[in-house]
Amino acid sequence: MDGKVTVGRTAGLYVGAAVLRLAIFTLLPGIPDLLTGRVEISTPVTSFKRLQEGLFLYNHNVSPYDGGVYHQAPLFLPLFALLPNASSYPIFTYLLYIAVDLLSAGALWKIADSGEAASSALFTSPRKERRWSGFVIAAVFLFNPFTVATCIGRSTSVFTTCAILHAIAKAVSGNPFGAMVAISFAGYLSLYPFLLVPPLVLLCYDKQRSGRATKSVIPFAATSVSVVAGVVGFLFGMSYLITGSWEFLPSTYGVQLTLSDLTPNVGLWWYFFIEMFDSFRSFFLGVFWLHLSCYVGGLTIRIRQQPLAVLTLLLGIFGIFKPYPSISDTSLFLALVPLYRHVFPLMRYTFVIAAVILYASFLGPAFYYLWIYAGSGNANFFYAITLVWNLGQSLLVCDLLFAVLRDEWEVERPEMVGKEIRQI
Amino acid sequence: MPSITTFNTSRARSYMVRLPLFTRLVLLAILGFWLVGLQSVWDVRQWGALIPKEMGLATLYRMNTFPFIHLNVFHAVMNLLAIVPLLERFEAEYGTLTCLGLFFGPLTTIPSILYVLVEKGLGANTAVMGASMWVFTLLGLEAMRTYKLNPNLVILGYSIPTWTTPIGILFVIAVLVPNSSFLGHAAGLGVGYVAGFGLLKYLAPPEWALRWIEGKLNLLGRLPHYVSVDQKTYGRFGVLPSSNSSTGGSGVGLGLVGTSALALRRDPRMLKVPPYISLLCILVGAVWLFLLPLNEYSRRTYISENALLPGQVHTYFGGSDQNVFRAYKQEVNALAEQGKSNTEINGKLEEIVRGLGLKTARQNFTYAAAGRTYQGENLYAILQAPRGDATEAIVLVAAWENVKKEVNRQGVPLTLTLARYFKRWSLWSKDIIILFSPDSIAGPQAWVDAYHDAHDTSRVASLPIKSGALQGAIAIDYAQEHRFQSIHVVYDGVNGQLPNLDLINSVVNIAGGQMGMGVALQEMWQHNDQYPDRLRTMLRGMLKQGLGLASGPHSSFIPYHVDAVTLQPFGEGWQDEMAMGRVVEGTFRSLNNLLEHLHQSFFFYLLMQRERFVSIGTYLPSAMLVAANFTIMAIFLWMKSGQPAETSTADIKSGSESDKSTPPPTVERELFLPIGVVILCQTVSVIPLYLFNHVPENTLTPLFGLFFLINTILPPILSNLLTTFHRPTLQQYNLIKSFSLLLLGMFLSSLATLNFSLAMIIGLLSAPLSFVKPFPNSAAARAVCFALLNAISPAAVLLAGAAYWKLSVTTILTEAAVAWHVSGTYSSVLVWCVWWPAWLAGCVTVLGRPGDKEEEKNKTKKA
Repeated sequence: MDGKVTVGRTAGLYVGAAVLRLAIFTLLPGIPDLLTGRVEISTPVTSFKRLQEGLFLYNHNVSPYDGGVYHQAPLFLPLFALLPNASSYPIFTYLLYIAVDLLSAGALWKIADSGEAASSALFTSPRKERRWSGFVIAAVFLFNPFTVATCIGRSTSVFTTCAILHAIAKAVSGNPFGAMVAISFAGYLSLYPFLLVPPLVLLCYDKQRSGRATKSVIPFAATSVSVVAGVVGFLFGMSYLITGSWEFLPSTYGVQLTLSDLTPNVGLWWYFFIEMFDSFRSFFLGVFWLHLSCYVGGLTIRIRQQPLAVLTLLLGIFGIFKPYPSISDTSLFLALVPLYRHVFPLMRYTFVIAAVILYASFLGPAFYYLWIYAGSGNANFFYAITLVWNLGQSLLVCDLLFAVLRDEWEVERPEMVGKEIRQI
Repeated sequence: MPSITTFNTSRARSYMVRLPLFTRLVLLAILGFWLVGLQSVWDVRQWGALIPKEMGLATLYRMNTFPFIHLNVFHAVMNLLAIVPLLERFEAEYGTLTCLGLFFGPLTTIPSILYVLVEKGLGANTAVMGASMWVFTLLGLEAMRTYKLNPNLVILGYSIPTWTTPIGILFVIAVLVPNSSFLGHAAGLGVGYVAGFGLLKYLAPPEWALRWIEGKLNLLGRLPHYVSVDQKTYGRFGVLPSSNSSTGGSGVGLGLVGTSALALRRDPRMLKVPPYISLLCILVGAVWLFLLPLNEYSRRTYISENALLPGQVHTYFGGSDQNVFRAYKQEVNALAEQGKSNTEINGKLEEIVRGLGLKTARQNFTYAAAGRTYQGENLYAILQAPRGDATEAIVLVAAWENVKKEVNRQGVPLTLTLARYFKRWSLWSKDIIILFSPDSIAGPQAWVDAYHDAHDTSRVASLPIKSGALQGAIAIDYAQEHRFQSIHVVYDGVNGQLPNLDLINSVVNIAGGQMGMGVALQEMWQHNDQYPDRLRTMLRGMLKQGLGLASGPHSSFIPYHVDAVTLQPFGEGWQDEMAMGRVVEGTFRSLNNLLEHLHQSFFFYLLMQRERFVSIGTYLPSAMLVAANFTIMAIFLWMKSGQPAETSTADIKSGSESDKSTPPPTVERELFLPIGVVILCQTVSVIPLYLFNHVPENTLTPLFGLFFLINTILPPILSNLLTTFHRPTLQQYNLIKSFSLLLLGMFLSSLATLNFSLAMIIGLLSAPLSFVKPFPNSAAARAVCFALLNAISPAAVLLAGAAYWKLSVTTILTEAAVAWHVSGTYSSVLVWCVWWPAWLAGCVTVLGRPGDKEEEKNKTKKA
């Protein structure tokens, strides 16, 4: 791919992506509602249907969290209340979602153009010449079927995706404050992005502008964390003003922390907790959350030289192990993976991964159909296929991790370039 | 010791080939005793085990036989896996004769004597057998040897003596493996430790004697795999040490071992095998299908749901009801002969049903398909259950016309009579809904859709009154005027879904068992329960399932998980309409008994006779094997397309000693063009799907002709365009084929879980696509291959089907369009969007003229 990107091509890409989405929205009117109902896209904490319910209650001056259906952040409500009613004038909602996708793509483009993936402050890959331009990476994101499906299904996770990508884009362009504000928004919307703060702080620290750089990492981190705390505090305050009580905390973050809604999804938690005896529930909740967060420290320390790689891998891991994952999380991970074009030759299982993910994404709906509609299968069918799906993703995470480490190792040990190694 | 992570087939094979003699003998003896243990005449275990109470002078042989005898195959295999590497090392070190002496002498007898003594002392009498005692003796020896080299293992600052490891193993095995003899293992381990302290040389036969025997008999020359006692003169294996690598596998440096998976991938033989595996998959899949009707693979049906109790009640329908039936028949005949409209007929029928005291309602529907509109009005009545709470209902359907457009002359009056009869009974616990639909496909579909609120309100009216959840439905299709012989049960649902097998079994049981009339399936009017008839029944069932069309009024119910069948009397016999009524009564009484939805029995099955079926576990592998063949080929082609890359990396690797600064140039696969071609094929496929489902009936045949023409010329055009603009390499053609087969395999394996027969049919018809390849040098081969592929194109198969069943193409295509719009049959999606694109990609591959591969190769090598 040539790196030259003209204004015409850029506009063409964005217009193409917008037209594709708009065409699906308007020409196939059954599709948005169909996708909104799919468990692979809408989880209890991101579902558009539930948002509508919350919005209805909010517009009628009832607490949106009454009835235990709505589990999303309170600030969505005034935003969507500003738009005309989604059932009578859906076009405004469509345009909002399309705009969010395009904004995400813009952030991704910036990240790609910074070249941070191949040459960070502390590490430069010998393969850094081999990379895709921001155009290609944005196109891969915008035309990824998972991204399109998430957009059409109007899952609110697109806002989190957008915030995370902007946080990374701000960080690589040397704007720590902006990055911290963006990640606070992401964390406010979905909770799990708070786990991305440590690698993001390191990324900001590495990419500080030379003029006003803080020397030591500890004060820098302290400042960043206090920015996050301040912004989140502000957002909580706003939420309190809007809903008039602190009820939103247990209804949004509480649900994620305690997994009180066991609607099936593509993740690994729901089945496990359906089967769980009540006495073990709190213990295993602790174990699962600990497991989710334990990767943060390890990866941040091990791949200190490439904080962006840590962020990418963590997003992949969250897409597998978080309480309510959906294909939207996978699409975010898959959006960042092409940044590592330079280590693709070092990956070993690309075909297997592609095949597993493809098979799982077709067998998943088939097995869900057998379970829910045909009644000839049961929950194990769907759970089995989510296991396969997550196996595919974890293979990708492992393989990418291997490739990144191998790339680093070849710089340390130039005599080993091109030789086979074995992990023990 | 070989570990799992470094497992390598060639190395494992050479390890097996180099096993020394005594180890081999032990291995064979263990296997031999296991084989002997398979017969039941002579209990070899009782004969050879070490049983403390049985020990006497005459039974001392037990001390030497027990290690060879095992409880079962699992025990034997586990012990073999443990002992072979240990014994091999021991023998390689000490020589075959020493081993023989030790293992038929002190190393076996001492632990067993110890064991027997302790056991007697404790007053117990536990028989032991198996080679695990030897395993522990050898482990003890090994541990002592390791201890001398490496006394401590430091973990977190604590030094752990290495000789303790076998003790850990001892306890773990005692805890985890059931029926393992802790005492026996401990005795073996103790002797191992003692021997390891250096006492072994006192136990072993004197070396001079062994050497004398060896020399006299020239054992080294005569016996293969013999390990000499004398390590100095000849070397252990009789050759000089420099030319052998005695302990192969172990002790290779840690960082730089060729990963075995990669080594395997490089193996050129690996690239020859997959096409054969693929072919084998197809053959096994096809043959499997033909084995199913055999007694060994199919099962007799049985009633799984105990609540059904089919045929256990006395049926009272008959007597004066016959007069009622005649009266109703008169009315219906009058309606039929006057050629009244649908609404008028419903008016008359409603009047009758109202007269019975049932609530009635009507529903309008309009469907448009293939340029025609199908409209009509359903009439239905609800008989409220005297003993129920209107939460559940069963449906009795009588369509005015059956699928062959014959008026249901007996079925409608019979349904009216049954409604009158049912009304008099007080035992119903579920509501009974009587449905009169104008036709057999659209009417019931509209009604069921509306019942479940899944209808399109612009075409289908909502139902004014409803009852509870539908538990089952029986449709009566009784157009023949004379007496009948048997009942034909039609059970195929839309998209190949089937009702629960219990429902069919109940009908078979009631009609065949209680009423004494025959039951036929799949239009097999005569069935002798022999292989050909069974096979024919099964294949007919599969074909119907694969087409996924609605086959009667019951078909529309099945997608809503309402089990339903149509009963169709046929033949010349002495059964009258009252017998038919009793069959329905019996079935309704059974359904009335249900405590919950039918769920016990199978939803996926193939019936081959009324009392014989195969379930999904038995038949699914055949479709999965056929689907797997595509995936195997896809993976194979992917590997093959990466092959030049692999060789060049190997070249670089060997050359890298001289030139370390060059980074490895990995030859990458050119993915964009193949992905583009496959996506193009998939996208184009939407066009025929849309056209064939949306053009009016009279243009279907010309459209098909046009399509057939385009279908023939499209692949050459596409291929020429590709060659002109891109000149794809062989690698790219392989990748096109790989991706298209991957998609095909994926779609088919997903489909096999939903509609087995369709997956099987498409899989078999597209099986040749696995084996097509470009012919760079022969235009003739290209043309022949393309012609052959054309013979199995979806369009050609459709034509052949039309010719075979003597149907016109228009009929088939209209039927498909109607099924698509009315019943929601998705078979056409599979044909146009799965099969056709795969076929198209296959044709492009066949017609491909790949660019010069050698040239490409040379270029990359130079780079």
